[in-house]
Amino acid sequence: MPLWTLIGLKEGCATLDWPEKTGKNGQEDVLGMPRFNPEKCLTNCTRCVDACLPNAITRDENNNLKVDYGSCINCQLCTEVCPTGAMTKSEDWAFGVFDKKDLVWEKNSQHKIKKTEIKKDFKQSLHIRHVDAGSCNGCESELIALTNSIYDMERLGIFFTPSPRKADLLLVTGPVTYAMHDALLTTYEAMPKPCWVMAVGTCAVSGGSNGGGYACNQGLENILPVDVYLPGCPPNPAALITAFQLFLGKIQQKVSGGQQNDTL
Amino acid sequence: MKGVIEKNISPNEIVSMCEHVYAQGDRMQMAYAWYPEKNTAPEIIYISSIKDQRPFHAYRCQLNNDKKITSLTNASPLLGWYEREMQDLFGISFFDHPENVKLVLHEGVQSEYAPMDPNYPREKLISFSRQPWQLAEMKNPELQLLPFGPVRAGVCESAEFQYLYAGESILHFDERLFFKHRGMEKKFEGLTPELGAILAQRVSGVGSVAHALAFSQAVETACDVEIPLRAKQWRVILAELERLYNHLHYLGHLCHTTTLKVGEAQGKILEEQLKQLNAQVTGSRFLRDIITPGGLRREPNIEPVKYQLKKLQADILKYCNQLNNTNSHIDRLIGTGLLTNQVAFDEGATGPVARASNIATDFRLKHPYASYNQNNFIIPVLEAGDAFARMQIRIAEITESFLIVEQTISSLENGFIFREFKTIPLSEGLGWAESARGGLFYAIHIDTAGKLARVKIKSPSFSNWRVFPFTVDETNMMDYAINEASFGSTVAGCDR
Amino acid sequence: MTLYNYTLNGAALWLMGFGLIPALLALFTARSVHDKKTHYYWLFSAFITLLGTVGVFGLQNAIAFFIAWELMSFGVAAMLLIENKNAESGSAVLFMLGILEVGAIALILAFLLLSDHGSNFSFSNFSIYAQTLSNHEQLGIGILLLIGFGAKLGLLPFYEWLPKAYASGTGATGAISSGIVLNAAFFGLMRGLIAWLPASNTITLGVIVVIISVFTAILTILNAFQQLEWPKLLSFSSAENASISVMLLGVALLFQQANQHNLASLAGIVALIHLAGHSLAKGALFIAADGVYCSEKNYLIAQNGLLKKFGILFGIGALFGAMSLCAMPPQIGFVSEWFMFQTLFHGFYLQDLSARLTLIFAGVGMALTAAIALATFVKVLGVGLLGIDNKPSNPISFTIKIAVFILGLCILFFSAGLFYWINALQLIAIKWFQFNSPVVMHHGLLLVPLSAHFAFISPTLLIIFTPLLALIPIGFIIFNCRTKIKRAKIWNGGLQHDHNTATTSLTFSNALRYFYRFVYLPKHEVKREYRGKPYFLKRVSFHQETTPIFTKYFFNPVISFVNSLSNKVRLFQSGNLNFYNAVIGILFILILLSVLF
Repeated sequence: MPLWTLIGLKEGCATLDWPEKTGKNGQEDVLGMPRFNPEKCLTNCTRCVDACLPNAITRDENNNLKVDYGSCINCQLCTEVCPTGAMTKSEDWAFGVFDKKDLVWEKNSQHKIKKTEIKKDFKQSLHIRHVDAGSCNGCESELIALTNSIYDMERLGIFFTPSPRKADLLLVTGPVTYAMHDALLTTYEAMPKPCWVMAVGTCAVSGGSNGGGYACNQGLENILPVDVYLPGCPPNPAALITAFQLFLGKIQQKVSGGQQNDTL
Repeated sequence: MKGVIEKNISPNEIVSMCEHVYAQGDRMQMAYAWYPEKNTAPEIIYISSIKDQRPFHAYRCQLNNDKKITSLTNASPLLGWYEREMQDLFGISFFDHPENVKLVLHEGVQSEYAPMDPNYPREKLISFSRQPWQLAEMKNPELQLLPFGPVRAGVCESAEFQYLYAGESILHFDERLFFKHRGMEKKFEGLTPELGAILAQRVSGVGSVAHALAFSQAVETACDVEIPLRAKQWRVILAELERLYNHLHYLGHLCHTTTLKVGEAQGKILEEQLKQLNAQVTGSRFLRDIITPGGLRREPNIEPVKYQLKKLQADILKYCNQLNNTNSHIDRLIGTGLLTNQVAFDEGATGPVARASNIATDFRLKHPYASYNQNNFIIPVLEAGDAFARMQIRIAEITESFLIVEQTISSLENGFIFREFKTIPLSEGLGWAESARGGLFYAIHIDTAGKLARVKIKSPSFSNWRVFPFTVDETNMMDYAINEASFGSTVAGCDR
Repeated sequence: MTLYNYTLNGAALWLMGFGLIPALLALFTARSVHDKKTHYYWLFSAFITLLGTVGVFGLQNAIAFFIAWELMSFGVAAMLLIENKNAESGSAVLFMLGILEVGAIALILAFLLLSDHGSNFSFSNFSIYAQTLSNHEQLGIGILLLIGFGAKLGLLPFYEWLPKAYASGTGATGAISSGIVLNAAFFGLMRGLIAWLPASNTITLGVIVVIISVFTAILTILNAFQQLEWPKLLSFSSAENASISVMLLGVALLFQQANQHNLASLAGIVALIHLAGHSLAKGALFIAADGVYCSEKNYLIAQNGLLKKFGILFGIGALFGAMSLCAMPPQIGFVSEWFMFQTLFHGFYLQDLSARLTLIFAGVGMALTAAIALATFVKVLGVGLLGIDNKPSNPISFTIKIAVFILGLCILFFSAGLFYWINALQLIAIKWFQFNSPVVMHHGLLLVPLSAHFAFISPTLLIIFTPLLALIPIGFIIFNCRTKIKRAKIWNGGLQHDHNTATTSLTFSNALRYFYRFVYLPKHEVKREYRGKPYFLKRVSFHQETTPIFTKYFFNPVISFVNSLSNKVRLFQSGNLNFYNAVIGILFILILLSVLF
């Protein structure tokens, strides 16, 4: 019979050094949001608009392209149909933001990054209650991966709790189906205040490909007040950790105007 | 419909059709409805397999305008859920259905038209005001009801369960799913097949490859496309990679329920390493957005499959061996959640759950698709039907998966990975795949404009969730979590 | 020899008085659970019962005593039958009467043996005559008395008539049966063992009494814990409390044998205090059960939010009653339990090893029963009276509420003033035990087991000071409350559920049912009704029960033996004249032969 304790000791420590120290974050070659280079974009070309399932890419009345990364499901199809390379594949997946407007690329957008301060008391220890409001299970798979030995989010002071009564942050995945609506609101009401809400995954941010129709809302809009948005389909564990750190005020928001700016 | 042997029958003939299928020793696979034309009665299509025959059989039955038909559930219990789904979503009435309560739409849903009716306003959220859950009558006030869900402890999918118990053993168990019903099938309507493939991969996130595969094959069958061999082989490799990380997740989760902590940690690490390998191969940890009707969208990276996977194979097989030798872990699994062969057959169990109860079914071997007919592997089958058997089946499948990947890599054909094609209007096709959890069907109908008119998804979790309650009655509360983990079904796949 | 000689000694007065309080209150409250006609017949039966008990307490002649004894049993049977006229209750009462008959025969035998060959049936003569008997004869009489009175008290194996019989009656009947009637039976036993039989030279009788009563206590309280209805549970609990007092009698016998008269006196007085407190508390809970019946039309222990609906008077009475029965301070149940353990701790004064071991065994057994009794009454109060009241219930009469309240207050009053009331037992202590223990059982406001140096408690001081101590946290609450208390809906996974999710009396007891299954031999069966194939469930029904071991392994075989014997003897009733003639002929021949040879 194997002695699991010895096996575990022999395996050693599998946890990443990141994010406490710089280093590998486990997301080698993982594709993220398509990067938009507006100078390469052809006027009157609608290839990417037609290829976008969640209608994240639209042309407005002035024929300007508008890309809403809050609706992007990372299917990369726009990068494959774009004739000029205006849409390219990238590894930009750290798209956590405080305000949904930061996810939108629009010509001549004047929007400034808004920052939210949460109480200092919660920074070292954050308890999260997750509610699945109709996700495809991809987001849950990545959330569960956060508790494995490689990412180990508990070392960062972040925990999942079984009860909303002990939670600070309500993390919602899925576009909020009609059947989960009341349960979601009950969970929110059961949380002691102050509490915050995070929309994880494109479905929760804006509905994405799964929202709407006869059974779903379009994400948390008009249902709960959201403090952090993290689009992605699904957002990988490193993106989730980055979003938590953003929420806890440990890093700055890197995304504005729909572009991830790594120099910030 | 292409890809099947088709026959038109009238509503009076369905019972004899069903009896004929069972007399041949096989069972029905699924049933669904669709509207060939707006404002006419829907048509029901029953799909069955016949023992030792490769093609599936489809029986089409056009309903009369009153939308009423006899229920086949008494003859074929597994059709019970399909008929209730048609009742809820299409407004069809089934005479003599023994379980005539709401399934897919919860009690309290009100709508003038059934949601799948073409007259239903497309983007309107259905009106809903929750009513009590209708359950079997319980005749003893001394028993305690323990409701659990839909928001469950930990990071779990939403589903509601209710236990009737007197302290230790569960006397009766009820499950209510379809909290996550997103109406995905309706969303396909009007999409091009290319966009349809993208949507299909978001029906069940951890089954993306299987869904994309079944969908694409349905489209390719409908439009008479023969994709290049290299594309088929790559599809096999991707499907097996998906099977691997799902099985490792399952093994880790099973260790979690038996509180084998290091075993759980090790299983989760191996799963994570496989997902990272997936990202190196395709750019997506879930192998998404590669498979499309016509082949593959881009050439995946073969290096990690050739080299890194070998190292992981050694670690994974060692881990499986260690699990098999851990008596304390196996002790909790033996005898837990017993599923008899008869119940598994009658209620439509599929995948490792069925194979652990002595039903030798696997679409890869019985109804080969992609390039599986060129592979040499076995279907592991066990008789015990308990949680231990289900674990052993999955471990055996892991070994087989590595074998299949190795065989496919060594015989990988040079060539294209995509074939252009035009959609054929008014064509129909059935596609299928064996996902990590069992047999998955996609039935697609294309409209006059070449866009999708109807897509029916039958996910293996839909079948297995139906079977699950029969293994819980009169078992221990302590064993429930282990039993549920041993089934390894997803709620998203079931609810769609 | 006068049949009508009637005197009440201290113990009789004590037990009768404490039994009369709930009995009289029950006479009033019974009107709420009876319809008019039943009530008048019931009152008549109750009157007969009370007449019988009065006789049992005071009559000094064996024949008269016996008539009163049977009258008492008859009265109880009549009360039960009047309240419930169906076949089931009939068979339950018949079973009860059958067992009581066994006891009655034992009593007759005992009285005959003590009556000096039938010459003197006066009780005062019994004690004189008993001194001339040998040890074996005294032991035999002691056992006969134990059987005789034990059948009524519910000593093993006779306790099995209790649940069915009590279940066919109302709480008012229970208050009378478990109060004054139980006290009367115990008084008879106590007088028999202590006053009639001289201090034994052997420890045998004492050991037998202790062992039987401890086992009874354990079995009855285990059974009580599994009951799902008020009267059944409370009846088993009465048997348990009676057996505690009987155990103390056995302890007194052991101390008497060892010449420790002070300790024997202590044990005897504690037994009296215990039953006095028990009648009050049990009466309170039986009348509370009637309140449950008025409201819910059944006697099930289920969470219906009744405490909230019935108001504070009822609540206080029920609470004090339950507290007393599970020995919570400052109630009288706690006092008598504490005294009981103190008495057992004095076992080291005994010389004989077996006597010491017996007392240790008794201590262990009592600890177990105390724990289970606590769980039982937590179940009664918690599952029986608490819960969410989202279902409307019928209101109950003020009589019931005030009766329960009065009894609750009596409990508290009794406990607080025990240091004073106990002096009423001085005379009987001297008369029966030759030692005045009551006077040394209190020391100022403290209650002590003969000496303050050994241990002490004081319910009086507790009752005064605990509320005063409570003022401090109350003050904190009042003056420190900065934020408004947030009241939120129950969190239960996101959806609201009705109160079927509350703990039921079955699930509360289930763990112990499994743990002690070698005692309970539990059975459970689940029945599923299907529509068509066994996959489509229509209805689930569930039935469970514990096996009454004595009925199954002792009484039923005896009953079937008697039946088979009578079936064989029936052959003599052939109705054939020739057969009878032949039998007479054979008998004559046999007589002739016996004379000749």
